[in-house]
Amino acid sequence: MRALTAGEVVSRVKSNLGIPWRDTTYRDTFKFGGPETEVRGIATTMFCNFDVVQRAAQAGMNMIIPHEDTYWNDRDDVSIVSGDPLYKTKVEFMKEHNMVVFRIHDHMHSQRPDFTYVGLARALGLDRKYETAPESHRFVIPETTLGALASDFQKRLGARAVRAVGNPNAKVRRIQVGVGYATPAVNDPEVDVVVSGEQQETDGGFDSPEYVLDAVSLGITKGWIMLGHAISEEQGMLEMAQWIKSFTPEVPVQLIRGGEPYWAPK
Amino acid sequence: MKPISRREFVTLTTVVPVAIPAILQGRAAPTAQEIVDRIKQRIGIEWKADGVDTFKAGDPMTPVKGVATSAMASLDVLKQAVKAGANFVITCEPTFYSRADAPAPTGARRGGPVAPDAIFTAKNEFIRNNQLVVWRFSDHWRQRTPDPLSVGLADTLGWGRLRAQDDPRRITIPGTTLESLASDLKRKLNSRGGIRVVGDPRLRVSKIALLPGTSPVQSALGLFPLVDAIIAGEVREWESVELARDKVTAGERKSLILLGRVVSENPGMSECAKWLKDVVPEVRTTWIPVDDPYWRPV
Repeated sequence: MRALTAGEVVSRVKSNLGIPWRDTTYRDTFKFGGPETEVRGIATTMFCNFDVVQRAAQAGMNMIIPHEDTYWNDRDDVSIVSGDPLYKTKVEFMKEHNMVVFRIHDHMHSQRPDFTYVGLARALGLDRKYETAPESHRFVIPETTLGALASDFQKRLGARAVRAVGNPNAKVRRIQVGVGYATPAVNDPEVDVVVSGEQQETDGGFDSPEYVLDAVSLGITKGWIMLGHAISEEQGMLEMAQWIKSFTPEVPVQLIRGGEPYWAPK
Repeated sequence: MKPISRREFVTLTTVVPVAIPAILQGRAAPTAQEIVDRIKQRIGIEWKADGVDTFKAGDPMTPVKGVATSAMASLDVLKQAVKAGANFVITCEPTFYSRADAPAPTGARRGGPVAPDAIFTAKNEFIRNNQLVVWRFSDHWRQRTPDPLSVGLADTLGWGRLRAQDDPRRITIPGTTLESLASDLKRKLNSRGGIRVVGDPRLRVSKIALLPGTSPVQSALGLFPLVDAIIAGEVREWESVELARDKVTAGERKSLILLGRVVSENPGMSECAKWLKDVVPEVRTTWIPVDDPYWRPV
């Protein structure tokens, strides 16, 4: 039997995607290795960090399909990082283990459904029956408090450093889910709480933390729950692994979790 | 004209130093615009008009009764400014919830709804009712040498004398663990729940770098070789956070502490208030810290 190559995996990803491939993407490209590499196993993950790379190699997987970057900047511009010895260490390890890295980001978000949302809603226990419309990512749940909701999310994710803004005692029902850095603005009057991964605190397109603080001053219900970028989008890489497995039966495919990078001090 | 005695003369000359503020107080209060003009003259940085350091609300011609500086002009901070007798608020971060700082919503990310918005409206009303003037001071304040945000942060942490001669961002503290350093920061900066840490809690740390505000991965790449821990305001998770995590994986003895952006900028705006006392001697300048916006779920 002819060995499965990374190029063949990518071409099956493209043909199963259900939408045209956009070659203009700088994100969804090979970050290490190339199409000719023979694939023994596929690991999906969130960030292609060194820990995940090592664990994938240990598990006998030499193709990594991450959602995010490998070299600590979105464009994976190695000229920024190649002066740091860590870059060489990571690349040498991948070379020794005959690894290949192909990122899937832009096309994952364009695919329907977008697995990042499917995975996060599943992990947060936001049942589809509460979603106002398919793909709205808006859930109207039985009334709870912002504090209880944030605690519930943190427990379900096994997280340590979830952050929230707003009055913990505020009664909330209407939740808008965002993923990664695609955090919806909190000023939608139909929304009580935004839960998402990451957003710059101020000086951006819309600064939700200050808006929520002012809402609290005025007695208006608003809440903001930041899970962290990694754990918000990592969940959907499980769905991504299952989907890739469906058209690459020759090799094992699994999610390798990078987990939450943070802890919080006492 | 009555001749003055020697004793009266001595009294007059000795009161001169205190008489200056009295004379100034007698003068018309400076307007917000006049204060900004003085800042531009004394900042020591070439002024760039196309940045974010502009008036955000109120009439620049308003006579100023008192100045308040803050990392972020939240409604709570504006209320405290009014209580402190200040009507000119100088803020490091935006007032109207975006870099554009427009006083009404201009259309949210993801095509959210546009005006009217109860929170924008209430904030504008509060500013109008109290005749406040709000001006942003960020780009130019950060460019001063030594960086006043790092100086302020180090001083607040009690590390003022531990600074490196050549770089105010670098400090050598008595050795401690990452865990106890992080807890110490939490206490000293009145952080509720915004601090997050990457690294081994038991790591011994002594050499520290400060990166208040926001910073790109280039900053972390430049400083990590010199220090055990970087204490930053905020960074992007796909940049410096993953860089720190990979360094830990590779066995490098490095760590990263994120304070949150406004919490990291609070002390720098306290520095600003101190600096303004000379620039605007006629009225009182008060620093108003922003409370940590974040709490952690139980």
